[in-house]
Amino acid sequence: MKIGVLVKQVPVSDSSLRVNPDQLWVEEGSLNFEMNENDSYALEEALQIKEQSGEGEVVAISMGPADRTPKIIREALSKGADRGIHIVESSSHESDPYILATLFNEAVKDEGFDLVLSGLQSDDMSTGQTGLILGELLGMSTATMVVETEIQGENLKVKRELESGWFQWVTLSLPACVTIQSGINQPRYASLKGIMSAKRKEIRELQKDELMTGDSLQSLSKMYVQHKDKRTEMIEGDTQEIVSRLVDVFKSEAKVL
Amino acid sequence: MDSVHHVPNIMYAFGFSAIALFIYNLQRFFVVKIGKEETRPRVTYFSAIRNALIYGVVQMRVNRMRFSYATVMHLLLGWGMFELIFATAVDMFTKWGLFTSFLPQMDEPWFAVLNDLGGAMVFVGLLMALYRRHVMKPELLPQDNFTGRGYLFADTGLLLFILLLDVGGFIAEASRLAIEQPLTASFSWIGYPLSMITDAETWALLQPYIWWGHALTSFSLIAVLPLTKMFHAVAVVVNVALTDTDIRGKLRTMYVSKLMEDPDADFDEISLGSSTVKEFTWKQLLDSISCTECSRCTSVCPAYTSGKPLSPMEIITDVRNTLLENKSNTILPGDVISETALWSCTTCGACMEECPVLIDHIPTFTDLRRYLVLSEGKPPTQANESLEKTMNTGNPYGFSQADRTKWAKDAGIELPIIAAKKEADVLFWVGCAGAYDPRNQQVAKAMVKIFESAGVDYAVLGEEEMCTGDSARRMGEEYLFETMALQNIETLNQYTFNTIVTTCPHCFHTLGNEYTDFDGNYSVKHHSQFIQELISSGKLKVNEVETGTVTYHDPCYLGRHNQEYDAPRNVIQAITKPGALKEMKESKDQSFCCGAGGGNMWYDIEEGDRINHLRFDHAMETGATTVATACYFCTTMMDDAMKVRGKEDDIQVRDIAELVATNIE
Ligand code: SF4
Ligand code: SF4
Repeated sequence: MKIGVLVKQVPVSDSSLRVNPDQLWVEEGSLNFEMNENDSYALEEALQIKEQSGEGEVVAISMGPADRTPKIIREALSKGADRGIHIVESSSHESDPYILATLFNEAVKDEGFDLVLSGLQSDDMSTGQTGLILGELLGMSTATMVVETEIQGENLKVKRELESGWFQWVTLSLPACVTIQSGINQPRYASLKGIMSAKRKEIRELQKDELMTGDSLQSLSKMYVQHKDKRTEMIEGDTQEIVSRLVDVFKSEAKVL
Repeated sequence: MDSVHHVPNIMYAFGFSAIALFIYNLQRFFVVKIGKEETRPRVTYFSAIRNALIYGVVQMRVNRMRFSYATVMHLLLGWGMFELIFATAVDMFTKWGLFTSFLPQMDEPWFAVLNDLGGAMVFVGLLMALYRRHVMKPELLPQDNFTGRGYLFADTGLLLFILLLDVGGFIAEASRLAIEQPLTASFSWIGYPLSMITDAETWALLQPYIWWGHALTSFSLIAVLPLTKMFHAVAVVVNVALTDTDIRGKLRTMYVSKLMEDPDADFDEISLGSSTVKEFTWKQLLDSISCTECSRCTSVCPAYTSGKPLSPMEIITDVRNTLLENKSNTILPGDVISETALWSCTTCGACMEECPVLIDHIPTFTDLRRYLVLSEGKPPTQANESLEKTMNTGNPYGFSQADRTKWAKDAGIELPIIAAKKEADVLFWVGCAGAYDPRNQQVAKAMVKIFESAGVDYAVLGEEEMCTGDSARRMGEEYLFETMALQNIETLNQYTFNTIVTTCPHCFHTLGNEYTDFDGNYSVKHHSQFIQELISSGKLKVNEVETGTVTYHDPCYLGRHNQEYDAPRNVIQAITKPGALKEMKESKDQSFCCGAGGGNMWYDIEEGDRINHLRFDHAMETGATTVATACYFCTTMMDDAMKVRGKEDDIQVRDIAELVATNIE
């Protein structure tokens, strides 16, 4: 079983974010990064599938700037992935999911993966599409929001999470590409042994421009922090006055009427 | 003693054989040879002799008020036996005519009195021991009295055998007194009355049998002693002599970063932490074979007391049994010792404080945890997050380093940052909980108020401060600990300051006692010590106010691990009316952990009660209106317990810094 896992590096979840002057991305200077939560479940699932089948390979694939991205690929290697692929690209946040998936497709199409896993969505952009589009580009069967997997010979049976507590079982023929919901397993901790042996594992670097050139179909126009203005106004007077002031506020300030 | 004189040769033959067997059987010690080399500083001749005397002969650590029955029992047995061995030696030398000018005569009145006293002490001690095993039956003692331990004599068997020996000794003495009729016979206050139960002729007739019987029982005991639990009498003396009491509990530093730089290191083969008995040092193995199974450690263990599946005694004896059964390749954590047991330990040190033979539980348990984490990647699942956050962000909460001083900014406090000031008298180590945890931010603010009121020239590291790595280290995550330590040391060494003041005993312990292994040498004070100094030097003026009554909870890493019991109490006394301090039954060196140490802050063991709830109940029992602590973790744990128990109206939880800050003049 040869499995590819997409892992994305995102700002640590409780970071205090500041928007760049160009209003297209956040200031990265003082940020710490970690593996996107859903992706860490996808990685764990890949490792477990490989361990159960007793043979195979897990390849961790990530896209991002040259300086910080290798860290999470190493993390994946420390946890047991066998090798890594790094698509060097310093402004991936400007690309839409289609472009990102195309880049991944170019990078892995010759790998011959039986299975490609990725997190359901990334904690930063949250489009939830990249993994799915990659599956289509690779010509694989696809499923999203997977909370359980089971390899059955040439097929992959998955349990999908639907709305309001409903689930659905789907059987996909391999090769397949699925996106993983968090909570599907318990991601492992990287042992020091793993960290040490990861040093000797290969990370192949690919430059974005060598893979493809092309413009995004979507473009990001503005990133901003929502203003939460909390004002308290005590309305005084008799009932008539209070009601008319309230209606006023609802109409002109809260704009709910 | 004519009746004896015609068989000396064969008697000597027996005697020497017994001693030879004794020595032969002592090779039980050599099982520790499969252990690794000991990396901790060697003991000196002086310390070895001193410790052998204090802890081996005087049995300093056996004598603990909280174990009064066992203490009396053991003192009677131990000292009684010493006396009898001494008397036997005198008797032997007298017969050989050696050292006679130095030694007392067997029939000197005082010696006669003393010898019977020795025998009587052993007798009473044995009865107490039998009573304890068969009537009191403390749940923690091994209950397989005749078959346990797999040795010739299990617990009760051995007691009965020594009883036989003791009574035999009195009878032999009685026969001698009856036959020889020394003038001072009546000073043998047990032997003499006993000698009168029959006439001298009957005694003379019986004497060879009595004498041989007694001699053979004694020789048998000597020969097999190292195979029985009495081995501890020898092993303990050796073990305490080889213990460096100054560094008890100190974890063995692994120098992981050096290991990682080593190009020749074979990571597939390398062993990280200890998984088999071979991977402990010989001293750790010696510890294990010296355990007397007294169960004191387990009886005071907060994890055990709260119903968690941990018995420190059992872990030590599991190591020993695996060693004695020659199972040198058996993986201990998981197979022999449950992982939950290992993770239940809060590293509170209560076990080590009580262990009469100075066994170092915590370093051994930590080595087993190191194996689980460093080799297997298996910390307690809930703790993964805090460990990964520490690695990724520098603090276990996962907040941004840029927000380290947000607590102060939000409160309108302008903290002096050392990077701007370059030097300060005091470097205030805020700690992660002080910086990010809303409850403990109050403590950090109180500390700032104290610094400012006392005019202290202080500064903080701000964004540059990272977790000291305490929790990581206790959890066995030595790599993460070292990463944090090296980073912090690099930061600290850029600046000039005289003292680091911490509000957290864990930071205090790690910075002061553990960074030294990485050339981080600082003068570190806990805030209780620092505030005490400020008050006593008059720099900080505080009021003695009517705050009701206060009980103080000793944090393990300030108290037991660093022996600071007085400073926080002095601080409390300075701000309260005389008599306001109410001690809990379990306080100072007998304090009961809050439950958060050893990394337990970051995960829950499902089994049993919550340790903090039990500890909170201790505080409630004193009737105090405030429970004072001097540790972020303790404050959090007591606060949580207070809320769960619904006692917000009856008691308040305060760090001593908070109490002081509200009472500044
Ligand atoms: S350190 Fe404390 S919790 Fe751990 S075994 Fe000893 S007594 Fe129990
Ligand atoms: S480890 Fe120490 S305290 Fe615990 S049972 Fe053994 S000798 Fe007693």
